[in-house]
Amino acid sequence: MDTDFYTPMRLDEVESPLQDEVEKALGIDIETCMECGKCSGGCSNAHIFDFTPRKVVQLIRLGAEETLLTMDALWVCLSCQLCVDRCPSGIDIPRIMDYLREKALREGYRPSRPAVVLFYELMCSCVERRGRVSEAPLMLRFNVLTGQYLKDLTLGIRMFLKGKLPLTAGKVKKMDEVRTLFVSWHRRSVKRG
Amino acid sequence: MNESMMGKELTALVIGGGPAGIEAALKIACGGYRVVLVEKESEPGGLLRKLYSSFPRWENPSDRIGWMVDDLKRNKQIEISLESTVESVARTDNGFNVTLKNTATGGARTIDVQAVVLATGFGLMDLSAYGEYGHGIYPGVLNSLEFEERLREWSRGLGKAPKAVALIQCVGSRDRSKGYPYCSKVCCMYSAKQAGVVKDLFPEAKVYVFYIDCRAAGKGYEEFLREVIEKKHVRYVRGRPAKVLPDGGRLLVRAEDTLIGIPVEFTADVVVLAAAVVPHPETAALAKMFGAPVDEYGFIDHDLRSHAKCADRVFFAGGCGFAVDTESALSQGAAAAAEVIALFNGNG
Amino acid sequence: MQRKRVVEPEDKIREIPAVVFLFRSCTGSLEYPGTESAVTETLRCLEVEPVTDPDQTCCSGYLLTCSAHTPEVSLAVTARNLALVERKGLDTYVFCNGCYGYLKELSHILLHNQEYLEGANELIARWGYHYAGKTRIFHVQEMWYRLRERIAAKVVRPLNGLRVGVHYGCHYLARKYDILDDGGYPTFHEEIVEALGGTPVFYKERQLCCGYAVGRGFTHREEIVQPHLFKKLKNARDSGVELITTVCPGCNVALDREQPNLRERYGEDFRIPVIDLAQLIALALGVPTAKLGFEANTVPLDDVLAKVGVSE
Repeated sequence: MDTDFYTPMRLDEVESPLQDEVEKALGIDIETCMECGKCSGGCSNAHIFDFTPRKVVQLIRLGAEETLLTMDALWVCLSCQLCVDRCPSGIDIPRIMDYLREKALREGYRPSRPAVVLFYELMCSCVERRGRVSEAPLMLRFNVLTGQYLKDLTLGIRMFLKGKLPLTAGKVKKMDEVRTLFVSWHRRSVKRG
Repeated sequence: MNESMMGKELTALVIGGGPAGIEAALKIACGGYRVVLVEKESEPGGLLRKLYSSFPRWENPSDRIGWMVDDLKRNKQIEISLESTVESVARTDNGFNVTLKNTATGGARTIDVQAVVLATGFGLMDLSAYGEYGHGIYPGVLNSLEFEERLREWSRGLGKAPKAVALIQCVGSRDRSKGYPYCSKVCCMYSAKQAGVVKDLFPEAKVYVFYIDCRAAGKGYEEFLREVIEKKHVRYVRGRPAKVLPDGGRLLVRAEDTLIGIPVEFTADVVVLAAAVVPHPETAALAKMFGAPVDEYGFIDHDLRSHAKCADRVFFAGGCGFAVDTESALSQGAAAAAEVIALFNGNG
Repeated sequence: MQRKRVVEPEDKIREIPAVVFLFRSCTGSLEYPGTESAVTETLRCLEVEPVTDPDQTCCSGYLLTCSAHTPEVSLAVTARNLALVERKGLDTYVFCNGCYGYLKELSHILLHNQEYLEGANELIARWGYHYAGKTRIFHVQEMWYRLRERIAAKVVRPLNGLRVGVHYGCHYLARKYDILDDGGYPTFHEEIVEALGGTPVFYKERQLCCGYAVGRGFTHREEIVQPHLFKKLKNARDSGVELITTVCPGCNVALDREQPNLRERYGEDFRIPVIDLAQLIALALGVPTAKLGFEANTVPLDDVLAKVGVSE
């Protein structure tokens, strides 16, 4: 829509319930933000964010749902929690980011970084299958699935030769319990959804 | 005159010898009544004595406090009790029996007074709650009062000339997670003043003020602030810094320029923290002795009818009620004096 | 160096327990097995007996960040793990900042949302588990600091002034209401290093994030993790740091494993060994190096061991 490009955001037409939704779901009072920017001054990743934490909070107030659910910052946030640590109003921005990530996936938005979602899936399946996470095999699978076949290969071989690379994760004894947890939740989600 | 007071020599006790207390004492004395002024330090003057410069006129506060103290000392109606504190209070039919203790000699005496003006002033919050700013850890990080002292040293050619100075606003103030949701009111102006003084002393120095909002509501205040920016070339960045880090003997300030939305860094020799204004801890105890209410932060609350009155025969002025600049402290001192005189004249 | 703390360690851990539940960490037990073994050995040296359980799974923190769309699984997994501990009637001690943060957060969510708690308990009830919220969650670093005097008294291999730069890790420090120290300027690791006879180095970037959190080490290695690490390690090296300690195996992976990659990318070979604080304490307390698993490290510790006077 070419015309949108030149149209400023119409504040009188904003009708997104996003702020209400976020406040209710997370127990956070967005109105307490005074936009001082301390969150973003401390942010580990502000230099590569398309929207700094302060802007994310302001975008929620503006009801800019589309922007929030498609922004790159969702998928590069480190969840290091420094923003909420510094926030004078204690606004839990990492939790907001979690919520928006969840919402973006649920509503079928294509993440700007598909590799992140792939990693998530691999990680979950790792816990589902073994109960634990072992970094090395996970990294190998991740690299293969993202087409980076040779990445970390030299490091991997070096480590393997020195006996440092555990190729199998130790397995939790009662794996059936863990698996059933996943299955039950999958079923629950289907019933609900 | 009311009968019970007739024929008696009436005395007011003023607690605190800063600008508010001195002004109250002088005006009560002008009204023809006796005053006992109690000051815990060894000389009167309060916070104003510690300041290097003032807004909105770049005056030397020592001049003004000098004249005021001269008037005080010359006035025969006023007895100044230095290095003294209030030990205990007993309410009587028409006033109080107050026991004063001399902190230097340990001696105590009890006096009869018919009215009290609390003028204990304000202090700055303890900054150890802000580990990220490193006050008390890095020698270059000062609170605003310590910085006034540094300005005085610099003006005398003492100490190393700074290449860069950062002033951080709202440290504590407007931070509900630290328990100070209020605006401390005076920091915007005194920081502009301090930044301007640095530029006057060291025109080559880079001076940055990190602010959230610039509050310059007062006669001549906005013009003063614009002068600091436009004529003295102090730079203002909108954003509350997240941390101060040691950087090769200097200090690195990290923040977001919230108007552009990019992370910024600034290396300074001195970082000044505009700490939240808080009442002195003894204010609440003193208020309790005289039956005066205090708010949740320990500032004195006024009663419904008068802004200078907080209990029967108890009045207050200046920073013990909330953050004030010098002008307001003086006005409030005069207002409290008017209340005392009205009471003593029998119209209170 | 000791300062008044936000929470005094004596208030946080009042009585020293004789037995604790040691919550195993995926990375700390598999990638760096020396970490778990050092934690175990150190606890024993300090007369605290750690108990583990083979049925305990991943803390589910990864599950939370990795399955943002179904956080309920994480809640059930947490409830199950903590129920395991509650059966033993012990408090939970973790040795990974990630486990600490997520267990704290998820147990908080469970205990403050009746619906979630019931849902999770319903799921785990079929194996006879029930989570009631009785076990308290601590990080072992809190125990180290609580027992700093006991540690200092038992040092048999003083560090001879070894210049140690500590790395606290965001996921402990940022939990500002529930940690031992001031998140803005912590010093308790430095105090422990001093007690061991080392020289703590307050390098500028000591609180910089390692960049590895929530899988970014996999997904954004070039973009985020390596620049972070380069900045941090360069500053540490320029400040004369000879060894970095962590209290989070995730941070340890990033700081240690990435050094060869940094050499290739930036042409700088830092060669600063990175170990867990528990490994350093164990070393100073005289635990045989064979039990400390240093061979799992990418950057070898030869220089450090020589300085401390250990010949392998």
